[in-house]
Amino acid sequence: MAQYRTQVRIIADVLCTARDMNTEGSGVGITMLLRKGNMSYSRMSKLLSELVGSGLLVELNSEKVSKYRISDKGIQFLQVYGTFEDFAESFGLRL
Amino acid sequence: MGPDTAAIDEVLQFIGVFVCFSIAFVSYKGLRRTDSPTFMRLATAFVFLGLGFFVEGLVGLNGPFPWLPSVTATLVVVGLVLETAGYFFLAFSHAVDVMLSKRLALGILIFPVLAVSGTELQNLLSFLSFYFVLYGVVETLYSYKNSRKPDTLLIAGGLALLACGILTQWLSIMYISVNLLPLVEILLTEMGLMMLFVPVLGYVLGREKISGPI
Repeated sequence: MAQYRTQVRIIADVLCTARDMNTEGSGVGITMLLRKGNMSYSRMSKLLSELVGSGLLVELNSEKVSKYRISDKGIQFLQVYGTFEDFAESFGLRL
Repeated sequence: MGPDTAAIDEVLQFIGVFVCFSIAFVSYKGLRRTDSPTFMRLATAFVFLGLGFFVEGLVGLNGPFPWLPSVTATLVVVGLVLETAGYFFLAFSHAVDVMLSKRLALGILIFPVLAVSGTELQNLLSFLSFYFVLYGVVETLYSYKNSRKPDTLLIAGGLALLACGILTQWLSIMYISVNLLPLVEILLTEMGLMMLFVPVLGYVLGREKISGPI
């Protein structure tokens, strides 16, 4: 049976992609985020503006293309998220 | 129950209150940090359980509160209702969170109400609590099958002991002449709660860093 992701899980997935795929340091494009995030373009665009607005992602504008990299706040979010994910998993639950 | 065993029973009840509120506190922290509904349900479950144990603990405190015996029966039922509500939320968090569809989960949660309506209230509440915890045990074991986390197995074991405690509680309501049953019940419940508390202990003591700003 399909498991639906909660909003916080989707945010964590996007942040993870922005962290792990930013190997060259120039940020991650929306195509990569879409591919890894498994969601529609419109939903991803809305989520990215929210994440940039809340300071979890940093938007980098280069050659007319927006790229994103995870901010320090985003890294802290992932650390806290990981801790609480472990806690929830102990109870057999998922976030 | 003799005076000594009654005192032990009281102490154990209030340890149970502490454990439940500690788990609720960590869950509440989780809710504030991640905004996840999973923690909302977990915190609600343990707040209800803690309140249930607290009210049940009050029942034995005749010394400081001499007026208590007159409301004992009401307190027992209120305690059981709160406890059952706690176990319901515990089962519900699994029902909406793990592998089942919401419709099927709702059916599972409604089933016992339909099956045992008409029995005595305390029996009914104990039966419901037992059913909910058993459901939690099965779901947690299923999660352990996938995650293989020792903490999950510990929680499943703790829930299983809670289920045994509730079963004993049920028996103690039915066989009221057996004096030892209430003590066995509270011991099983406490051991279960302690097992639930072990994975949570690190978070309560702050060893696991969970206070980072988001």
